[in-house]
Amino acid sequence: MIKKASDKSDKVGAVLVVGAGVGGMQASLDLAESGYKVYLVEKGPSIGGVMAQLDKTFPTNDCAMCTLAPRMVDCGGHLNIEKLTYSEIESIEGRAGNFKVSIRKKARSVDPDKCTGCGECVTQCLVKNIVYLEPPDVPKVELEADEQTKIDEIISRYEGGRESLVPILQAITNEFNWLPQKLLMRVSEVKEIPIEHILRIATFYKAFSLEPRGEHIVTVCMGTACHVKGAPRILERFERELGVKTGQTTSDMKFTLEAVRCIGCCGLSPVITIGEDLYGKLTPAEAAKILDKYRD
Amino acid sequence: MKSYRTHIMLCAGTGCVSNGSFKVKDALEREIQKHGLQDEVGVVMTGCNGFCAQGPVAVIKPDEIFYQFLSVDDIPHLVEEHFLKGRPVEKLMYIPPSEKAPVPKMGDIGFFGKQRLIALRNRGMIDPEVIDEYIARGGYSALVKALTKMKPRQVIEEIKQSGLRGRGGAGFPTGRKWELVAAAKGDKKYLVCNADEGDPGAFMDRSIIESDPHSILEGMVIGARATGASHGYVYIRHEYPLAHKRLIKAIAQAREYGLLGKDILGEGLDFDISIQQGAGAFVCGEETSLIASLQGDAPEPRVRPPFPAEHGVWGAPTNINNVETWANVPEIINKGAKWFAGIGTETSKGTKVFSVVGKVENTGLVEVPMGITLKEIVFDIGGGIPKGKKFKAVQTGGPSGGCIPASLLDLPIDYEKLAEVGSIMGSGGLIVMDEDTCMVDVARYFLEFLKDESCGKCTACREGIDVMHGILERICQGNGKEGDIEMLQELSEAVKDSSLCALGGTAPNPVLSTIQYFRDEYESHIKEKKCPAGVCKALITYTIDPEACKGCRLCAKNCPQDAITGEAKEPHIIDQDKCIKCGVCFDACKFDAVLVK
Amino acid sequence: MSKIKPQDLEKIRVRMARTMSLRDGDAQAKITVHMGTCGIAAGARKIMSALLAIVEEKDTKDIVVTTSGCAGLCSREPMMTVELKGQAPVKYIELDEEKTKKIFSDHVLSGKVVKEYALAIGSERVG
Repeated sequence: MIKKASDKSDKVGAVLVVGAGVGGMQASLDLAESGYKVYLVEKGPSIGGVMAQLDKTFPTNDCAMCTLAPRMVDCGGHLNIEKLTYSEIESIEGRAGNFKVSIRKKARSVDPDKCTGCGECVTQCLVKNIVYLEPPDVPKVELEADEQTKIDEIISRYEGGRESLVPILQAITNEFNWLPQKLLMRVSEVKEIPIEHILRIATFYKAFSLEPRGEHIVTVCMGTACHVKGAPRILERFERELGVKTGQTTSDMKFTLEAVRCIGCCGLSPVITIGEDLYGKLTPAEAAKILDKYRD
Repeated sequence: MKSYRTHIMLCAGTGCVSNGSFKVKDALEREIQKHGLQDEVGVVMTGCNGFCAQGPVAVIKPDEIFYQFLSVDDIPHLVEEHFLKGRPVEKLMYIPPSEKAPVPKMGDIGFFGKQRLIALRNRGMIDPEVIDEYIARGGYSALVKALTKMKPRQVIEEIKQSGLRGRGGAGFPTGRKWELVAAAKGDKKYLVCNADEGDPGAFMDRSIIESDPHSILEGMVIGARATGASHGYVYIRHEYPLAHKRLIKAIAQAREYGLLGKDILGEGLDFDISIQQGAGAFVCGEETSLIASLQGDAPEPRVRPPFPAEHGVWGAPTNINNVETWANVPEIINKGAKWFAGIGTETSKGTKVFSVVGKVENTGLVEVPMGITLKEIVFDIGGGIPKGKKFKAVQTGGPSGGCIPASLLDLPIDYEKLAEVGSIMGSGGLIVMDEDTCMVDVARYFLEFLKDESCGKCTACREGIDVMHGILERICQGNGKEGDIEMLQELSEAVKDSSLCALGGTAPNPVLSTIQYFRDEYESHIKEKKCPAGVCKALITYTIDPEACKGCRLCAKNCPQDAITGEAKEPHIIDQDKCIKCGVCFDACKFDAVLVK
Repeated sequence: MSKIKPQDLEKIRVRMARTMSLRDGDAQAKITVHMGTCGIAAGARKIMSALLAIVEEKDTKDIVVTTSGCAGLCSREPMMTVELKGQAPVKYIELDEEKTKKIFSDHVLSGKVVKEYALAIGSERVG
């Protein structure tokens, strides 16, 4: 934390802590306890930060307030900590030991020394500060006619809301080999699922690709049985043969090379699949030869 | 069905299909027709037989003759000799590795002889796409019993008494789970069959669904009777297209017969099942993320409690069991809790299906009573290690499990015993490793897998595994340093303690168990910069033994780097500066003259 | 197929029983027709067809019909061996369809060995 005596320069005085979340408060407390004057700057009207809004903390499931409240009280009453709430930093000049900071303190229109925090003013005020969000302008998705019919047919196969999303993405992958963005936009439009959620799901699962894939998808099984029987060398061999890295597609769009975690054919390890065809008990040289069948 | 005198039970599991069992089927039918035997000999396509490495395999009934490696070219001879003249064909039979004489009968083959089939009771005996065959072998009789003769309470009691524990890995008592769901309040309740078999090296769930889909459906309907659930989901991996297809068919047949849907068997029970396919995420095997995935949410685990038994699919009480667990249920109801509890050990009852794979002679799927020793599985059933190599370890439990060394081969297998030695039962993958397997590389491999599959929710799991993987990667590269092992152990504790779900909670197991039993291998990587097993690329060199080299030029022709020089019929030399250690020369050499050190 | 009731399951089981007993391999009776080249030449195929027809007609369960190679006694073909569960096998020689029917009804179904067609009771010793 703080290096004291060994540092020769005569740095003295106070410390500025920016942000009065749990981290800022703890830092301020530690500094204040070791004798420094602390200026604690906070943008919001109160100290406490995000943790005050949480119920439980991860991963221990401790009550957030129980951790936070003692620190808030300590911070609030500590004589060495000067709290500058509802304030923002405008500029910082100087160097270690000699900073000049200008802070803009916003008008609070309440005398903090007198306020007890009863909240009565909030309920009494006639002007309610409620924020209404305009729905964002989502441009209508423009699709080719045949794409439109195909995607709408796929979507119509599945009822329901979010729970139909994975099946729909699977159906699109089966049809197009990948997930073109504009089709996803269409799914979002019809099913009223935000595109952000669709993309989150699409990137979570291994089976989906947001980039076009080749005509033949070459997957090398990297299950444990295949691994001990030499699958990594087969994968390497394919990388050399096809001139791409795992996960990439050859420039002629013929092959995509992928590694899969386990096809469940461990009895035949090492195993690869090309499209629907499965080949087992391979050596790297044999595996390379199989590619020729698909090269035409 | 016609009354054939012989049935050819040809395996149509994924493994055999990929080796051409449908072509063999066409050839068989063609030849049978040619000899006019079509009214006497029938070909039945069964589910996975389990002996996948020998595929395509067939069992001839009633003679019980076992044939392996069938190819289209063998068929004319086979049909003429066996089915016309009644002379079994020796050259297509199984020959044990250490012997010369073939073993004709299936029951005499060590691989099958020690097995005891409960979950796999119908494998190879029925055509999985014909519901009548399942019924003929006693299928759905347990359901009748549960519906007409037993109260829901009694069904649960029976399962509790049997001592059945979750076969997905954790081993939670199934009856207890059902009881919780039955007692939970809610208008709607759900059942889930977890067929998202993510552990690399395990494929029993695929096999059960492929060979006997109705056993799962029956188990689930019995579960519905016991818990009061009205709908079931089967969550199956998308990597299993054949199993998916068979399941769809089985559900359609069961609906047609009124074994699913409204008023099942006229006994007033309403229950239906739908299938959801996964999309390739290991973490979806965890129950809370599976539920999230079913609902179309991002499949991240959540804090438990509340457990799914109170708050599961759509917030309703939900019971999740693994495929193998469901498949056991009808047999327990039929034969009684006492019978089931009579098999196995003190704490683990019944049988367990293992996939015995890796460096072992007979790879495949075996179902054995709990309490069998590792030695029996690896040597008696598995037939030992190929090519006379030395046994090194068995890895159980997938990425959450550990490696068990040769000194513990006499260990009787059950949930507790495996945990004691630092591994877990897991879904039943049993990967055999020989002297050519590098244990540091195995640990690195599992962490690489988990690094990819960590959902990223918990910092310790996301970052911790990544850091641990980095250290192992460095050790394998030959850049390990003193203190790395201790650092790995320390990080392991941190990752274990601060992850929400079992993925992170068990992730360090492969590392800890390999350090515990194979510390010397870590040390030789770190201190001597040597990989004793000859696996880690940065630490090995390929050389050519001048004595053994015949100068055939085969390796030189195949070398992608042109690193091998030498005249024909003279010993060749590998230029170590050019060598990228791809191992092509090693594979190409017919005289074992390429050495790895 | 309409929705079924518990008793219908039993009907399906009965209907499928013969197919299934074949696979279980614990049939009550096993009839082996010797079908080496000599047997086929002497008409073993007809015997086989006749047997299968009888099995079909009588709708018997637990009976397995199978083939084996030449029994070595080529001059007395066609031959078959009848083996009831727990009893010694009996070899019958010089068969025709009529004899087959009689053997089936007397020996296989009723357990009475048809002595006039029988060659011997028991099998050769192996080894």
